[in-house]
Amino acid sequence: MSDKKKLYQERLNRYVTAMDVGKPDRVPIRLNLSEFLAKYAGYTLQEIYYQMDKNIESSNKFIQDFDVDTVPGPPSLWMGGIHDATGAKYLKFAGRELDKDKQFQFLESDYMKAEDYDDFIENPTKWILTTLLPRLHTEFKDPYRAHLSLIKGAAGMVMNQGMLAEAGKRWAEEYGIFPPFSGMSKAPFDTLGDVLRGLHGIMMDMHLCPDKLLAALDVLVDHNIYYGMATAAGDTTLPLFMPLHRGSYPFLNPEQWDKFYWPTLKKVIEGLWKHGKRTLFYAEGDWTPYLEKIAELPDKSIVFHVDMTDMKKAKEILGGRFCLSGNVPNTLLTYGTPEEVSDYCKKLIDEVACDGGFIMDAGGVVQWDAKVENVRAMIETTLEYGVY
Amino acid sequence: MANQIDGLKDALVGLDMNKVLDKVKAGLDAGVDPMDMVKDLQAGMVEIGDRFARGEYFLSELIMSGEIMKQAMALLEPKLAGVDQEYKGNIVIGTVQGDIHDLGKNIVAMLLKGAGYNVIDLGVDVPAEKFIDAVKENQAPLLAMSVLLTGCQDPMRDIIKAVRDAGLDVKVLIGGNYVDEKVKEYCGADYFGTTADDGVKVAKEVFGA
Ligand code: B12
Repeated sequence: MSDKKKLYQERLNRYVTAMDVGKPDRVPIRLNLSEFLAKYAGYTLQEIYYQMDKNIESSNKFIQDFDVDTVPGPPSLWMGGIHDATGAKYLKFAGRELDKDKQFQFLESDYMKAEDYDDFIENPTKWILTTLLPRLHTEFKDPYRAHLSLIKGAAGMVMNQGMLAEAGKRWAEEYGIFPPFSGMSKAPFDTLGDVLRGLHGIMMDMHLCPDKLLAALDVLVDHNIYYGMATAAGDTTLPLFMPLHRGSYPFLNPEQWDKFYWPTLKKVIEGLWKHGKRTLFYAEGDWTPYLEKIAELPDKSIVFHVDMTDMKKAKEILGGRFCLSGNVPNTLLTYGTPEEVSDYCKKLIDEVACDGGFIMDAGGVVQWDAKVENVRAMIETTLEYGVY
Repeated sequence: MANQIDGLKDALVGLDMNKVLDKVKAGLDAGVDPMDMVKDLQAGMVEIGDRFARGEYFLSELIMSGEIMKQAMALLEPKLAGVDQEYKGNIVIGTVQGDIHDLGKNIVAMLLKGAGYNVIDLGVDVPAEKFIDAVKENQAPLLAMSVLLTGCQDPMRDIIKAVRDAGLDVKVLIGGNYVDEKVKEYCGADYFGTTADDGVKVAKEVFGA
């Protein structure tokens, strides 16, 4: 076995053991670095949004320099070119509407109207193709351009995915590193609330047309399970990435959470788990009031990620049955000193990681503001102090 | 005369949209001073903000109350024409350049309006010049900025510096999920807030009302 292959196996074992709530040789390190990677490698945001090779290169530089167990693939998830091909109205990109080093922007709106519920529930895919896409894209003004734009967009997507698959192989072979997750999906309430109805829309629906909202959420359960398995290409070793948005405190009151947010999210997670697919429950913001409910999930079916949730309570309520991750504050990585970061990580190791089932990570996605020396302190502390 | 609008505030606090709108219509029919109704509704919004601060109300209730308020004001505003609305003062608000998160900012703005301030909302991705122009134009004593992305905190510092360099006599309040004392100091703001009702608290202090 080559050295890199051995390293790969060691890291993967460490990661999987922790996710199974076991005690590996040391605390694994996963770092959700996004734009940080681009800045570290010296690329502008326009370069990583528009050039897949540079997007991929940004990760190379970091994994060459640092000994981490896993980092998410390249920093940009949404490539500008694909969206330009169809004329996406809901996104703005660096070098087009924005300066060349500005982060992309999403324009939230009620792209789906309350009147659309019936058609959506009847056949969501058809509704998306015939109603939503034309609303969202300038190229859909006439059928001729619409067809061409879909072909261009799809071809671009396939090319990008191919490059990513190649990069994945190279990362494994040359650096002995694997991605922290495979596949992605959402809570049905977020599918509707983030992109389709918008926050104002979905909040009003809970008051004004709750039955339609519930029916639409139900329709999304199978879809979101399927989407997760399909984007993971069937892999069940790594967890699926699920960024959770509108279920954090204080969006919904407890009754609304129990009625609208939780039942369908639970079904998606359980459905994935039946396929052997674990979910990285990326709980953005504060989820403290809902921990007891989350504990209803089957053992080990999620990795519960802590951003602003009370870590002590999370450990108390979920520890032992689910792996926990995260919680190093993003502001500490930006404004703190390496000593402070190191102390924080030690505390996490002593109090949370002590009996296994823990992965070191920042609370939120790490942007360009984090100091390199603080990221280094986080890694070095875990490498030394995190040995079991 | 006032009995037409008895319970107007409570109906708003109870999020009973039909009751609020019925009462406003009945009040207008009976010739109740629209300004009195606005004051009752504002008192209701303050109560709603307090309940939010106590953890009894959530965003969903804030958004619902905002919608009821909007519809009630749509009935009242035509009757308010010519009447000088007595605002407690002008506040400029916006999400800083590079950041498009606006759900929190909208709620802060809503509660400030509800509490009787004139809020000039500049939207999202707002550059320094736009903040400066708006503060000048409205002679606003308070500038409130929202920032969710840590990556936009440094640009916010530049904006605050530009505001100070422009020699404006304005207090700066910043807020967002990852904002704390450290961020406030780093950016050179006067106040910081992490929940929507912090906005109202600071406004009370700045305007003394
Ligand atoms: C919803 C959301 C989105 C929505 C935004 C929709 C919209 N119209 O705003 C969408 C999906 C579009 C989005 C996009 C992105 N997001 Co986002 N998002 C969130 C999320 C889940 C909730 C934010 C929210 O609206 N909360 C509800 C509101 C009401 O709360 P709030 O904003 O905190 O506001 C309250 C207080 O902070 C305070 N407050 C706020 N402003 C002010 C101002 C004043 C003056 C005062 C007094 C108080 C105050 O009062 C409010 C009410 O109590 C957070 C995580 C979280 N739960 O906080 C991530 C989060 C903010 N997003 C994040 C990221 C990284 C992004 C993206 C870059 C993701 C990506 N790569 O795709 C993009 C950014 C694009 C851009 N250029 O801005 C990160 C930021 C990490 C960091 N290092 O800063 C977070 C923290 C998630 C995470 N844990 O990693 N996001």
